[in-house]
Amino acid sequence: MGFLEFVSSHRQELLQLTWEHIVIVGVSCLMATLAGVPLGVLITRRPNVRKVVLGFANVMQTVPSLALLGFLIPLPFLGGIGARTAIVALVLYALLPIIRNTYTGIVSVDPAVVEAGRGMGMTNRQLLFMVQFPLAMGVILAGIRTATVISVGIGTIAAVIGAGGLGVYIFRGVSMVNNQMILAGAIPAALLALSADFLLGRLERHLAVRPDSS
Amino acid sequence: MLDSAPNLHLIYCLFRKTEERQLAESRTSLRFEKVSASIGVHPLVSDLSFEVMKGETLVLLGKSGSGKTSTLKLINGLLMPDQGTVFVEGTATTAWNPIRLRRGIGYVIQEIGLFPHLTIERNVGLVPRLEGWEAGRIRARVVELLEMVGLEPEEFAQRHPHELSGGQRQRAGVARALAADPPLLLMDEPFGALDPVTRVEVQREFLSLQERLGKTVVLVTHDVREAFRLGSRIGLMDEGKLVELAAPQDFMNSESQIAKEFLEILNLPVNNMRPV
Repeated sequence: MGFLEFVSSHRQELLQLTWEHIVIVGVSCLMATLAGVPLGVLITRRPNVRKVVLGFANVMQTVPSLALLGFLIPLPFLGGIGARTAIVALVLYALLPIIRNTYTGIVSVDPAVVEAGRGMGMTNRQLLFMVQFPLAMGVILAGIRTATVISVGIGTIAAVIGAGGLGVYIFRGVSMVNNQMILAGAIPAALLALSADFLLGRLERHLAVRPDSS
Repeated sequence: MLDSAPNLHLIYCLFRKTEERQLAESRTSLRFEKVSASIGVHPLVSDLSFEVMKGETLVLLGKSGSGKTSTLKLINGLLMPDQGTVFVEGTATTAWNPIRLRRGIGYVIQEIGLFPHLTIERNVGLVPRLEGWEAGRIRARVVELLEMVGLEPEEFAQRHPHELSGGQRQRAGVARALAADPPLLLMDEPFGALDPVTRVEVQREFLSLQERLGKTVVLVTHDVREAFRLGSRIGLMDEGKLVELAAPQDFMNSESQIAKEFLEILNLPVNNMRPV
């Protein structure tokens, strides 16, 4: 049986797994963004919290994904078998690029521009939303893009703890020594990563401020 | 009842005195009283005392690092004095709500001051927007201001700062500072980044604008020609101190060494300048 025949005969299941994969990655990246961006802003203002937050995110990144999933299973509320645990793990992985890029993006906004805003009587909040965020948007989105692409890859491993997704085919294919099945999981996962990268890249270019051409 | 006459006179005198003081206060826009400021261990300005009258243009002249910009920042509260007091409209900057203080002062900085991600319309209308004006009124004000500084609104309102020339950006910067019609303008090397020809042109426009609007202006520059062209008084700063404060014609006769150095540049005939 060839690869294409396998795909067409398993079309229904493949679509189901792809959809699960998208949901897991989408939800975790959304949650990581909702947590990571405010944290990134916070550490631009509280230098003493910076080391703790970045240290934590850094450590999370160094834990092997399989091990992290294993650690999470026995935990109450967060852990267990299924998609929820996978989402928690992916959020932890996605945090670092998002926090780090938010922080870098905001501190690299030209201090003269920030001072101009302050001199015009902007409050801290107005400065953040009207000046710092828009000018840092390109860098922040680049962080979210990195996080998403990483999550698509790591998301395949989540199948081990019964979270579903395209990893199901990969692991099943490995244990059955069925190359077609492995490819049917791996190729859509790769395509997913590429298209997420492409779409977020377009968004980034669209929203990022054009460099001053003077 | 006879001896009450001198008392009445005394009361009258006292009354006159307060009245005079109030009058003087109402003519003063800014007053520095023995102001010193520093960042960490670095002294920025020391023992500054001067007044700026309403409607005058005070030019602060000096080399880089002489404390000119710090003096401006002391006025709009971006910097607070360690000693002494800065009075704006009779109230110490430390007593002002910093946001209110700054919204009432127009601030023009070298071209970086325009926000690169906003159109000219948005940039110019920024303070009115912060002040919560309604959209229609902001738009009308932006059109009025752009016309006033010589930028065709149709053509420029929707452009971004990087799509403008240096001179046009500078005009937009002035328009933005004037947006909420503040009585006081602070200008930090506003024409520094312009080529000499455009600079003279923009300076001329500034003078005619100033004639019409009669704002109080404190302008910082290191260009002695600019100081003479624009200033009703010139304050010379060196190492954080105000070494000379005089009207241009009196400034010419200044005895101070640094003033002479600057005046030398002014007197240098153009055709004597040779490449070294």
